[in-house]
Amino acid sequence: MNISPRSSLGTACILLFATFILAGCGISAESGGRAYRGAVLTKPVARPSFTLTDTHGQPFDFRAQTDDTVTLLFFGYLNCPDVCPVHLTNIATVMRGLPYDVTGKVRVVFVTTDPARDTPEKLEAWLSNFDPSFIGLRGTPEQVKAIEKSVGVAPAVAGAPDSAGAYEVGHAAQVIAFTRDDSAHVVYPFGTRQADWAHDLPLLAKVK
Amino acid sequence: MNVQWWCSARDIPWAWSWQAYPGVWIAVVALGAAYARWSRPLAGSASHAFAASTGRRVGGWIGVALVWAALDWPGGPLGTGYLASVHAAQFLALAMVAPPLLLRGIDGDHIRTLLARNGVAAKIITAVTTPLFAMLAFTIVMLSTHAPGVVDTLMRSQLGAFALDLAWFLSGLAFWWPVVIDVPLRERFGPPMRMLYLFAGTQAHLYLSMWLLLAEFPAYGIYELAPRVTGLSALEDQQVAGGLLLTIGGTYVLAVISVLFFRWFAEPQPEG
Repeated sequence: MNISPRSSLGTACILLFATFILAGCGISAESGGRAYRGAVLTKPVARPSFTLTDTHGQPFDFRAQTDDTVTLLFFGYLNCPDVCPVHLTNIATVMRGLPYDVTGKVRVVFVTTDPARDTPEKLEAWLSNFDPSFIGLRGTPEQVKAIEKSVGVAPAVAGAPDSAGAYEVGHAAQVIAFTRDDSAHVVYPFGTRQADWAHDLPLLAKVK
Repeated sequence: MNVQWWCSARDIPWAWSWQAYPGVWIAVVALGAAYARWSRPLAGSASHAFAASTGRRVGGWIGVALVWAALDWPGGPLGTGYLASVHAAQFLALAMVAPPLLLRGIDGDHIRTLLARNGVAAKIITAVTTPLFAMLAFTIVMLSTHAPGVVDTLMRSQLGAFALDLAWFLSGLAFWWPVVIDVPLRERFGPPMRMLYLFAGTQAHLYLSMWLLLAEFPAYGIYELAPRVTGLSALEDQQVAGGLLLTIGGTYVLAVISVLFFRWFAEPQPEG
């Protein structure tokens, strides 16, 4: 069969256009073969054991109180301008639309990396804006750094304050998903979409 | 001062602090200069039979102002990086409203003189304003530039965002030309065909708006992952975008079709 340069160009244009459309629909070769849309860890991370203080001033034993649940662990702070509110909004929005047999198994635990400004009251009010079931924890910077290290994320670093005393805190942007086998096999970096959460949370809830 | 040539998504929190976009200013000044020249009555034309009325010329300047408002701060950066609803409003301004306003304000003698020369410009205009071509081009541009992969890719660069804005504006000019301007003369493209053309040419618009309204999740990563500007969630903002396209865009097209119909209805019919 002879293919003229003009028809080859036309075919190339159609393929390019189709690629754009398919990319937009999330049908890509990369995501097609995987069970999870999050980033799968080559070496699973064990569910850590630590105790911090919740927003009611009560000790929260992470390992015991999240046992047999899918636990989404995230480090961040209230004044975070982008990553934290986007992650929490997307998780909360998706959870509202999932059946209880999935959401009933999911806990979202937010550990503040800025305990000096994130008082229990502020943390409680802020998390309630997303979902009242989200759990907020506070600890000393040393405690939080140790937990971050134990789950393999970079420790948070506070920036220099500006003239008004405001500062930003650099922190890990991924949500770590511990499943009921007490391990995290997948993490969700910034950029995870609501459609990705909706796809993965029911899968995570099935892991025993 | 932080200067960008053209608005693009920047992944930083929105602040109501003014930004300069020199590329937008150059484009708007160039458009304004071209429109000023083309809306002025043609020197040397004896009859001025095709001169635009004052109302039409003012309408054209409103079109220039709309283009400016759609591209410059705050509408430009909000639409490229933060809010799908503003993006939809930009589309309506650049592709649906400004082009016919500008075309209506142009002095007809200029166009007739240009086309009579039969140069390269005349040949291009004749070709791209052929109704079938213009309608297909407008539909393809509308659908492809709203595909999530295209939006998420183009909006991240200034050149990409510029290309998208330009595609909307140029395809809008081509689409509206056969409705607004009588030359090149197309005898079979009378008022009924124009109404049908407008209806058919905006069906993709209807599909697009329904898709945005009914989607289960935000379609565009760029808006879903952007820091929120309003109290609306990304999905609610997307639904506002779909609603704008459906209500404002749909009502607008329906109004134009109605005007064409009543004008045609009021025309004296040839005695037979």
